[in-house]
Amino acid sequence: MLLLAKVALGLGATLAMTTAYVFHEGVVRVDVDESRPGGSHVHFWVPATAVSAGMRVAQFAPQHPLEQAAEQAKPYLPVIRAVAKELQKYPNAEFIDVTDAEQHVHIATVNGKLRIDVLGDDEIVHVQVPVETLMDVADRLEDASRSAWAEEWHARHARHAFATE
Amino acid sequence: MNLSTRGFLNAAATLALALFSLAPAASLAQAATDTDQWIHIRVISRDAKGEVVRINVPIEMAEKVLPAINKDRLHDGKVRIDSAQVKDVDLHAILDAVRTARDGEYVTVQSNENNVRVSKSNGMLYIIVTDKEHAKNAMAKEDATKGTKTSEAVESKVEIKVPMKVVDALLSAGKDELDVVAALRALSAHGDTELVTVKDAENDVRIWIDSKNATE
Repeated sequence: MLLLAKVALGLGATLAMTTAYVFHEGVVRVDVDESRPGGSHVHFWVPATAVSAGMRVAQFAPQHPLEQAAEQAKPYLPVIRAVAKELQKYPNAEFIDVTDAEQHVHIATVNGKLRIDVLGDDEIVHVQVPVETLMDVADRLEDASRSAWAEEWHARHARHAFATE
Repeated sequence: MNLSTRGFLNAAATLALALFSLAPAASLAQAATDTDQWIHIRVISRDAKGEVVRINVPIEMAEKVLPAINKDRLHDGKVRIDSAQVKDVDLHAILDAVRTARDGEYVTVQSNENNVRVSKSNGMLYIIVTDKEHAKNAMAKEDATKGTKTSEAVESKVEIKVPMKVVDALLSAGKDELDVVAALRALSAHGDTELVTVKDAENDVRIWIDSKNATE
């Protein structure tokens, strides 16, 4: 009985710690509802830690998907990093609000999360990303871009060494 | 210590750790202060769609983000001016002349199309342009679509008010460049200011600076 209680307590504590760790960065949430006939309805949420962890794991994938993404995003990375870093200073602020007869677009930070809401006649989109995750994504992409460059440099160096031998 | 006490302590410790981990990261980040200056842009369209645009940007954020953008004429927070655009006008010499001159009205142009007034007062440069032609065209266009006749035309009025220190900072980069970041720094030091207002038949535009993080 005593042993069972200890095991249960251990499992409970581990579960609580795991849950706390997984959700400590918050949740990335995406909701898309198209009101036209046959329109799509997408609703998902992912723990932000999973995004960061996923990007770390993707670095070791054989096809280097992260390096390709990093290469495409390279010109925008300094801006993304700068924006994400600055957004951390404004956890609750309204940045953009556009309203017309058909649409309402709202971009703000709420409790340290970047919120983008688009309310249209035929489409409703809500995106919520913790600002810390944006920073993490930019960091991971920058790392991937750097490692891709290093790999290319080594390959070129090896080819040159082989040719001169 | 009996089992229930130890279990309670373990659970309490776990809960405390979990709460600590869940504490929002934002509170750890350097939070913005109430004295931060924000640039606000508000555009209200008078057309049928009634579009309203509100943009609020912390000046400090703009100062940090702008140098990260290197595209076309913008690099390191400076905008390159095409020498063809400036032609033979020496902006620095003009500015120097305005700076050292006494307060008053410098340019007044009155014509059938435009009224332009440039003046300086208490360290501020004022530019007021009233475009009569634009208003007439806008009303004619509206009349044509509605099939009615309107005798009265609403003038388009642009009012720009810039602290001289901001103009100085803007031109501090050199002959062919405008230092936007330096101008922003000078603006944030200046305090609450109404910068631009544009009123015409189509739009109502207002750009101003204050320490509120949301548009009125």
